[in-house]
Amino acid sequence: MKISRRDFLKGTATTLFLAGFNLPALATTSKKKNLVVIMLRGGMDGLCAVPIIGDKRFEKKRKSILIENTIKLNSDFALHPRLIGFNKCWNDNTGSIVHATSIPYTQRSHFEGQNLMESGGRTPYQEKTGWVGRAMKLANLQGDGLALSLPMPLLLRGIPKNNNYFPADGRLPRKDTLDLLRSVYADSSEDELLEMMDFIKKRKDEQMMGGTSGRGKRKNKNLARQAATYLRKSDGPRVAVFEVNGFDTHAAQGGVDGTHTKCLVEMDEIINNLRDNLQEAYKDTIILTVTEFGRTIKQNGGNGTEHGYGTAIFMAGGLLKKSQVHTDWPGLKRKEMYEGRDLNATIDARSVYASAMSTVFDLDFKRIQKDVFWGEDLQNLSDKLFKA
Amino acid sequence: MKNFFRKVAFGIGPNEEVPSDPLAWALNQLDDVPDLTWKGRIPSGKEMIEKYARKNEIELKKVRKKYKDDKKLLKIGIERLNNETGLHFWPSLELSIRHTEAMYSNSPVLAKLWFFWSNHFAIVDGGFRTAFYTGPYEREIIRPNLNQTFEKLVYDATTSPAMISSLDNSENIGPKSKIGKKNKKSSSINENHARELLELHTVSPAAGYTQEDITQLAYIMTGWMNGYSKSTGDTLPVEFNKDRHQPGKKTIFGKTYKSGKKGLANVIKDLVNHPNCRDFIATKLCRYLITDNPTEEMKRPIIKAFKDSDGFLPEIHKAAIRVAFEYNDQYQKFQKPENWFLQMAKLADFSWPSSPTIMDLYEVGNKPQLAHTQPHGKLWSLGHNPYGSKQPNGFSDFEVDWISPELLIRRLVFAKDCFELTKSKNNNFKFYKNIVKKNFDNPERIFKYLEKANKPYEIQILLFNHPEFLRA
Repeated sequence: MKISRRDFLKGTATTLFLAGFNLPALATTSKKKNLVVIMLRGGMDGLCAVPIIGDKRFEKKRKSILIENTIKLNSDFALHPRLIGFNKCWNDNTGSIVHATSIPYTQRSHFEGQNLMESGGRTPYQEKTGWVGRAMKLANLQGDGLALSLPMPLLLRGIPKNNNYFPADGRLPRKDTLDLLRSVYADSSEDELLEMMDFIKKRKDEQMMGGTSGRGKRKNKNLARQAATYLRKSDGPRVAVFEVNGFDTHAAQGGVDGTHTKCLVEMDEIINNLRDNLQEAYKDTIILTVTEFGRTIKQNGGNGTEHGYGTAIFMAGGLLKKSQVHTDWPGLKRKEMYEGRDLNATIDARSVYASAMSTVFDLDFKRIQKDVFWGEDLQNLSDKLFKA
Repeated sequence: MKNFFRKVAFGIGPNEEVPSDPLAWALNQLDDVPDLTWKGRIPSGKEMIEKYARKNEIELKKVRKKYKDDKKLLKIGIERLNNETGLHFWPSLELSIRHTEAMYSNSPVLAKLWFFWSNHFAIVDGGFRTAFYTGPYEREIIRPNLNQTFEKLVYDATTSPAMISSLDNSENIGPKSKIGKKNKKSSSINENHARELLELHTVSPAAGYTQEDITQLAYIMTGWMNGYSKSTGDTLPVEFNKDRHQPGKKTIFGKTYKSGKKGLANVIKDLVNHPNCRDFIATKLCRYLITDNPTEEMKRPIIKAFKDSDGFLPEIHKAAIRVAFEYNDQYQKFQKPENWFLQMAKLADFSWPSSPTIMDLYEVGNKPQLAHTQPHGKLWSLGHNPYGSKQPNGFSDFEVDWISPELLIRRLVFAKDCFELTKSKNNNFKFYKNIVKKNFDNPERIFKYLEKANKPYEIQILLFNHPEFLRA
């Protein structure tokens, strides 16, 4: 069996440390690579975030929710003006967009869609593990996942010993009590509880309960700061998962100050704070987004949009090849749209995710395709989107 | 066997007798819907909406306009308005009413099922909606229907102000209706409510409906809205506005419905009689009470009771409780946070929730004291505020969603911090021994660890995080 590189480094790290070498020096040579996934729940409107330029049909269908003063990205696409953090990435060649993409799901149900965006499958509720979890298992990355949310997302399931961080108020019981409770779990063969207890004890040592006070510490922008400090450690987690809720704007989606914008800004703050706080590690990181579907081209009567199909993926990080909008644009004529109402998806989003994981986890694309996505017909986009 | 008392209710309190016939004890609670146990004020939904929600909605517009150039003043203005309408107080009052029903009523099993249906027909969180709509909706729409038919429950929930607001049906306007033709730009259907009525509330995606079915149902639902006028905002009673209703026939699952107000009742009747609806409800009840993955054998008696009784909820509930009893020793389920908290509060005889006397001291207009907002804050930090559903599917009933380090941390912190809610007379080993005996089949197995605790609060941490307590 091949020894994973990371395990090897873990072993040597201890030795070197004892021998008096300093860890940061090692961290820079170890090239620990990180993956951050931001789940956008509710259906992110790719055309609100990254509108097409100069398409009269589009502008006509969205009269009252059209975003103004957008930032031009290239001759065809613009960026929502409030996405300041992402724009910084774009400007230093570490921000990309994949447009007209989606998971292969067209039924427009949130809950089926969210299940599939996390499981990576085609049949809702069939898979009990997530595509990130399965890939981590393939790369032998046990104990390297961190969810910045309360329930452990399906996305990370498939490999044991994932951690989550979503700080509570109050303080943990003293160590003796935790030890006693740990012995209860050990005696009754409660492996899962035992694993969690070990995480918790470690956390107590790190005194992670404090930080900013009140509810602020559970806000995504602050969670992102905290996640970055873990990710940049050489022995820290390699995968972090965020979630942003509220993209389901059937009513009052609004323009540049609307509800959809608010959610996009929350996503943007995660990207921005990761970028700033990952420091050097940002160049060895891929940040990417997933959502269950896009939204209808046409606005509805309540200045909102309905559930659609094609959408966009945001990506940031130093492992990106360059700033670009990667797309095979299907067009917005009636015949070109999905069922005459939605942006079509010409790229399977899972091709992007498989390619990203191939880069971050140093796994052959074909292995990911076979073992994570059941050998489905996916495109290897690694050369186009990511650095080797 | 004793975990049954926590599985279908919240356990046996220190001063309660252990029922000699647990199944009969549970079944006897399901025929009637008694008055709420809470002795303090219980505002009506009408009062909440017409008095407080209305004021909040109307005044907020004025405040926003008045202070639009000064963010600081705007914040102060909004805060003052929120106090004038009790916005921060009501959710905690509602939780007090809810928790009292779980901990102190004579029908805790019914309370458990009340919570189930409230979550099945979840209202999406939003400061305003959570404050003025969700609690009264659970009390006045969900609860009185617990001894009615599922059909009536669906209809009442669907036409409630809370659900219509939660799923945007006021925006659902027929393009060919009178108003639709007049305001072409601002009129179109809004599918949100129609989709969830199918997916979450009745037949589930297993029924295999299409986008066209959803669109057609949305047409049937056009015109149902929260009543609106300029001076009241949309706080008038729910109405069917025929000027917004899409004319013409609509077809769902191959069946045709005439246009008009009755279309909704007619389609709901057919949806609740769809085989997938019975299967879906049986699955969800088994998942709630027994296991993440219910078997066909578990579901069968519940489906049969549903069919035989035409969806009469007491019969469905009884069938579910019988199944839970039958499989009690075979399946133990990791408890959701609120459930866990209530079981702890009941067993440990906490001073919880704040008393009616304290809650009634609050006068609308004032800033609420800590005791007046504690329930809401506590459940938020526990990670499971029942009025804080982020999506219309409510909180997950899958135990696998609730097992994570952070959620265990919360239980550890809560079990410790809630020691401030214990009564001093209970701070002794004898007290805990008594409750363990009442609620666990092998008390010795648990005593063994409790005896190692040095301080009373440590007993609490150990007991309420013991694997046997975490599951039921």
